[in-house]
Amino acid sequence: LCSCPPPHPKWKQVTLGHIPPPFPTLLLAPHHGRSWGEDTGRRPRFPSCHLSLLPGSATIPSLKHRLQRNVAAMAWKPLCASILAVACQSCVLVWHLDPTSLSTRPSSGCAQVLSYPGHSPVTSLAWAPSGELLLSASPVDTTMLVWDVSTENCVQLQWFGGGGVTYLAWSPDGSKVLAATPSAVFRVWEAQMWTCEWWPTMKGRCQTGCWSPDGSRLLFTVLGESVIYSLSFSEYRGEMQGQVGGSKTASIVADLSETTFETLYGEERVGGEAHSMVWDPTGERLAVIIRGNVAPWLCCNCSFFLFSSSGFLRGECGAQPQLIAFHPSFKKGALLTVVSWLDSMLFEVFSSPDGSGIL
Amino acid sequence: MSLVTLVISIFNAEFYAVVPSIPCSRLALIGKIIHPRQVIHSVVHAIMGMLVAWCTAVMTKGKFQFLAVSCTTSESLDDALPQMCLNEYHLFFLLSGAFMGYSYSLLYLINNMNYLPFPVIQQYKYLRFRRSLLLLIKHSCVESLYFVRNFCVAYYFFGYIPKVWISTTMNLHLDSELHPLDSLTGLLDISLFYHAWLCGVFLLITWYIAWLLFKIHATETHHFPVQPTFAEETDQCLPKILNSNPPLIIKFLALQDLMLLSQYSPVRRQEVFSLSQPGGHPHNWTAISRECLSLLSDLTQRLIAQQEAAAANGRVKQPAGELKVSPQTPGAVVREDMAFQSPRSNIIPRASMSSLVKPSLTPLKTLSGSDVGSPLSSPSLNCKMGILGVNSPWHVSVQSPQVTRRGPKLWTSDSDLQMNGSHQKSSPVVSAARVGSEVVQPRFIYTWLQNKQEQIKNFLAKRVLIMYFFSKHPEASIQAVFSDAQMHIWALEGLSHLVAASFTEDQFGVVQTTLPAILNTLLTLQEVVDRYFKLPHVSSKPPRISGSLVDTSYKTLRFALRASLKTALYRITTVFGEHLNAVQVSTEHKKRLQQFLEYKE
Repeated sequence: LCSCPPPHPKWKQVTLGHIPPPFPTLLLAPHHGRSWGEDTGRRPRFPSCHLSLLPGSATIPSLKHRLQRNVAAMAWKPLCASILAVACQSCVLVWHLDPTSLSTRPSSGCAQVLSYPGHSPVTSLAWAPSGELLLSASPVDTTMLVWDVSTENCVQLQWFGGGGVTYLAWSPDGSKVLAATPSAVFRVWEAQMWTCEWWPTMKGRCQTGCWSPDGSRLLFTVLGESVIYSLSFSEYRGEMQGQVGGSKTASIVADLSETTFETLYGEERVGGEAHSMVWDPTGERLAVIIRGNVAPWLCCNCSFFLFSSSGFLRGECGAQPQLIAFHPSFKKGALLTVVSWLDSMLFEVFSSPDGSGIL
Repeated sequence: MSLVTLVISIFNAEFYAVVPSIPCSRLALIGKIIHPRQVIHSVVHAIMGMLVAWCTAVMTKGKFQFLAVSCTTSESLDDALPQMCLNEYHLFFLLSGAFMGYSYSLLYLINNMNYLPFPVIQQYKYLRFRRSLLLLIKHSCVESLYFVRNFCVAYYFFGYIPKVWISTTMNLHLDSELHPLDSLTGLLDISLFYHAWLCGVFLLITWYIAWLLFKIHATETHHFPVQPTFAEETDQCLPKILNSNPPLIIKFLALQDLMLLSQYSPVRRQEVFSLSQPGGHPHNWTAISRECLSLLSDLTQRLIAQQEAAAANGRVKQPAGELKVSPQTPGAVVREDMAFQSPRSNIIPRASMSSLVKPSLTPLKTLSGSDVGSPLSSPSLNCKMGILGVNSPWHVSVQSPQVTRRGPKLWTSDSDLQMNGSHQKSSPVVSAARVGSEVVQPRFIYTWLQNKQEQIKNFLAKRVLIMYFFSKHPEASIQAVFSDAQMHIWALEGLSHLVAASFTEDQFGVVQTTLPAILNTLLTLQEVVDRYFKLPHVSSKPPRISGSLVDTSYKTLRFALRASLKTALYRITTVFGEHLNAVQVSTEHKKRLQQFLEYKE
């Protein structure tokens, strides 16, 4: 695969073979650059995607288990090459895969079942960045479970109000966890003494959120509003603090309402609600999916935000981006992978170190 | 009541242990139960139970209140004084209290409730208590039900003994009008059952709450200063505590504090990386890293010894000159046993291999006196040949007739190993010192005694009943090896976090000089742990019971150790990246590090 940036701002499109839709979950394996996706049917299939930096393997393993139904989320364990957690209808499956094995069907003995009565369906997972704990949450259960995967012990963190947890995001420095609920309240837990603070939103539930790499800022969006909010947190210092330290109000940092642009191809209307957001590990770029378009925004990691849109990415007619993820350790800037549904296309965007090109 | 609670709490404090004692065989379990310490525990708990039951009986009033009540009918016609009869309900209550106290004590022992598990995540004490309260109440209710049921059965059969004893000593009559309680009609009294159950619930809840509060307070994190600010604090500072030999709980708390400071406290990390004034020596870092590395090497040695013992237990020792190839224990570590290939036999029946890591080590037991010993050894060996497979339930399934000649003990516990280890250590020393010397007599007697002992053991091994009690449960043996693994897990996490943080925070480079030693220890430990996990039974997880008050996390400590070891290595390789190639490690370790760098492990 070619890795050179395209000469003009039109991104290269790569076809990787047939990936059956629907395709709701994508994540990038840490440091491998392998992508895994699955469908919500009973047979998750994991096509591997070859990136030019690391030679990918030629085998395409497919993971099957009788409890693996209605998979809603997957997450690779950080600081590990072989453990994948899958959120299923009734439990969390933790697969122990051998990264060097050539088998295409790992046996179901490789999967560890973590289940807890009343905790189903499990829809969101988050690994601690230091790799030891796994958080699992269900929208119908007010209890969030903190699992110690190797001993299969879990601790229940219960907080009444809000009803369940719909979205989990752990800050990259390991200090805080965002837990969004189905109601107009979201909570932020601090990961040392596990106390939490909560914020009410005005209109709807918190749709998505992402943390800055040092854990000091949380960007989130609310269902029904096309703005990005920012909440800042005091610097994490010392131990046994037991304080989340969040500011009282969130400020709006970006307005994504619909606007019209003049482009070479005519007028373009872009804007709307943000569907999902990711922040790259260096803290320099933020990518937002807006209702059908992928809009990478450039933001600086300063005390005040300087947001400037560095462009929009647009797919083929009718393509709908579903999943975006930054490569966790891309050394030459940022590498964003976008998975869209349109006849099994997987689009990739490259970024050059000096920021030219699309990103 | 307060006296009772006080006594219970004292017992909790006396009996706690941070490392669970796991009985490896049924005999060990029985021995644990009849140990005098445990007997005192049970007796005191029984008395306390009786006291509590008496309190509740008095509080209930009604028919339970007094031990002696006036009889319903007067037997003698012209007796002015009413006779006192034994109130069986009261007696029932008291005895049920005693029984519950005793059962609580027994369950305490069997479930290792004196073990203090350290929490997975840190939480404020009140939150931890609140979280466990509902489960505790539920558990007490269910357990009380079981206790009352068991007690009813016991009373049915043995109730007459205390009844008769009390009535004769206290000169009470047995009321003939009422149904005696140790019969079916007597026992099917719902109100009695309910009251006894309620008493049990009350008793268990108070005792469990005392136990829970003790657990929560004892495992609370304690802040140890790294750099003492005052002279009197010098004994309390972390490096000193780690290097001395404190009571085990202090060491656990110190290691837990190390783990927390390495992750969350930049200020204390700076103190760890600091140099002493004057002199510029990194005392803190040296002390901490030395202690952690020695803990990890200890574990490595222990695991190697276990593997040797497991591999050797399947072998039959060869007589001099004969070359009989004994089949390998299926699933055990494959080792080139030097004893088979060398023409001199190994008289000492236990393992003769000294290390599994380096296959090229020469046998240490080249005994010059083996020829003298062999006439004696051959009868014992012949005796051993005649042993057929004992139907011990812990045998791995045999595939060939030769394998049945294996000795019954596949798994040994640490105490066995220490005994054998001392033999191993003493005999190579003995043989090395006496090679070429003509002093053979003491060794002759010694080996003769050993042979006799082995003969007796093998004879007894044929008795199934003896084997039932003596055979070692493999799962329990494995758990016993890793029973204090929590220390090692924390040492690994603390060390790896400190090393990872030192990449950016270490101004004086104190960590870099110890990096080769750290990497060597970690990689060696990982090798040994991976090999250990290939032994039978080790990689199978014990069944998990969720929602139980009793904590069984000590059963899966080995998996946590393996996972945290891998994470620790990945943490170091991720942070240092390609710079690790400049660190001085052996070539095989370099290869493994490369695999970690490429995420291929």
